[in-house]
Formats: sequence, structure tokens, C-alpha cells
Amino acid sequence: MKHARILATALAVGLAPIAAKAQSMSPMRGEVNSFTDVFAVRVFPANPYDRKIQVEIHVYDQDFQPVDARISPNVFQLASQASRPVLVVVPFDGTTERKVRICTESIPFPNQQTQIRAQICGKFFGHRKS
Amino acid sequence: MALFRAAFGAALLVASIDQTALATTQNVIFNGTVAPTCTLVVATTGTMTVSPDLQSLSSHNSGGSAGTVTLTTTGGVSLSVDPVTTTTAPSADSTSTTWTPTYSAAGAHSIVETGSATSISTPGADLVSVHLAGTKGGSNRFANGNYQATVTLRCE
Repeated sequence: MKHARILATALAVGLAPIAAKAQSMSPMRGEVNSFTDVFAVRVFPANPYDRKIQVEIHVYDQDFQPVDARISPNVFQLASQASRPVLVVVPFDGTTERKVRICTESIPFPNQQTQIRAQICGKFFGHRKS
Repeated sequence: MALFRAAFGAALLVASIDQTALATTQNVIFNGTVAPTCTLVVATTGTMTVSPDLQSLSSHNSGGSAGTVTLTTTGGVSLSVDPVTTTTAPSADSTSTTWTPTYSAAGAHSIVETGSATSISTPGADLVSVHLAGTKGGSNRFANGNYQATVTLRCE
């Protein structure tokens, strides 16, 4: 099972383009074929601000209900103009296809009266091959 | 012999000219794909002020201000706000409040203030203004103290 997940991860690596600065998350679209009961996506959140921010990664289904995905890491500090890879492993939950949103969220100005949470969501489609 | 040399030299020259004429060109093709991307940069947070009748706490009220966000996109994305779920109110306020987030945009795209999702099909940069209004009904009023709310602006 562990090897299968590694294989699925390896398949997903091809999906990820070279991370670019000044983007909040890339890619924002993708399709993944997997031969296991999970599929993996690697995304690159980026910090376009001139200071460090806290970034959270969340996975939702099409109705914006949380998905029990494995996110490594799911909360982290990101330096100014920096980007880093995040690996998301999504279970098919018994289905052969699954659409999910992977969202990068940050509140760059916390502790204000009206806070704005910037959320960039990518749409990803997993296909389970037999 | 001299005639042979002249003829050989002429033949060699013609052969060289032919070689030059055989030179060809090749096109080098470049391909590139730009996937949908979106950047949101929060520039300022908003400020809400209370109305004279104390039933509205809004960035639209006098003295209030919208939060501003810079949006840069390739197009092929959608912009929206989520219902407000995270709020704090002073302990003196025990009545319910209805929170309504809205946004508008100016720049490459013109979006009239709305609370619904907007599809953006063309590239460009915009300044997005995010508003939040809290209202109380009946005889309920906003209380003295600090209020805080979080608006989620989504690009997907």
C-alpha cells in the first residue's frame, strides 16, 4: 500500500509545473490518473507580500465540504516572495472519480475589525484506473 | 593541359555554387501554455461604523471603509465571497446579526457590487473593494464594544 501511494505521488509530480513567484497557488487546474485508492497532487502556494504570512491549505469537495485528505504541510509560515511545494493525497472513498478543490488560505492582516481571508482554490479531478 | 585545368576549375566552381544553393532553413517552433492563475493581495482591511439608529454596522456607513484587494489573473477564473461565519461581538450583544459580504471591482474588469460569484474570462488586474454589513432587526441594537468579522474572498 505504501508503495502504491508513492507511485500515485510520482504520477502527480508530473502535474506540477515549476513554481513561479507572485502567484498565490499553482497549478489551479489538473487531472490525475491513479492506480490506487488515492491520488496525489503537488501544489505550490506562494507569498506575494513583502513580509512573512501564515498559509493554510484545505481540501474541499464540490459542495465546499471538507475532505479528509492528507496535506503535508497543512499550516506553515511562508517568507516574502517565497513559494514551497505542498503534497496533497486525496482518497477516492470508493469512487472511480473525484473532484476536489485545493485551497490556499491566508489572513495577511489578522486582529483587525474586518479581516479579509484571501482564498485561492484550484480544481482537481482524480481518475482511478483499474 | 592548361585547357584541362581551366575546365576542371570551372567544374569545381559550378559544383561549389550548387552546394551553396542546396542550403535550407528550418523553423524552430516554440509552444507555451498559460494555465488559469489568480493572485489576491490584500492591501487594506475594512472598517465598519454604526448607523445612527444602531441597527447597522457597515463599511458603507459614514466613516466606514471597504477592504481593498488587488486581483491579478489570466482569466478563466471565478471571484466570489463566502457567507460570514467567523465573528466576535461584545458580551453585551446577545442578539443575532445578519452579516452580508459584498464586493465590487474596477480596473481591467468592471464588477458592480454583488454578493454572487462572477466569472472572469479575460486577463488583467483589478482593485477589488470588499464590503461587509451587519444588520439587526426589530428592536435589537448593536452594543458598545468591539466587533470583528472575517470575509473570505475566493478566486478559483
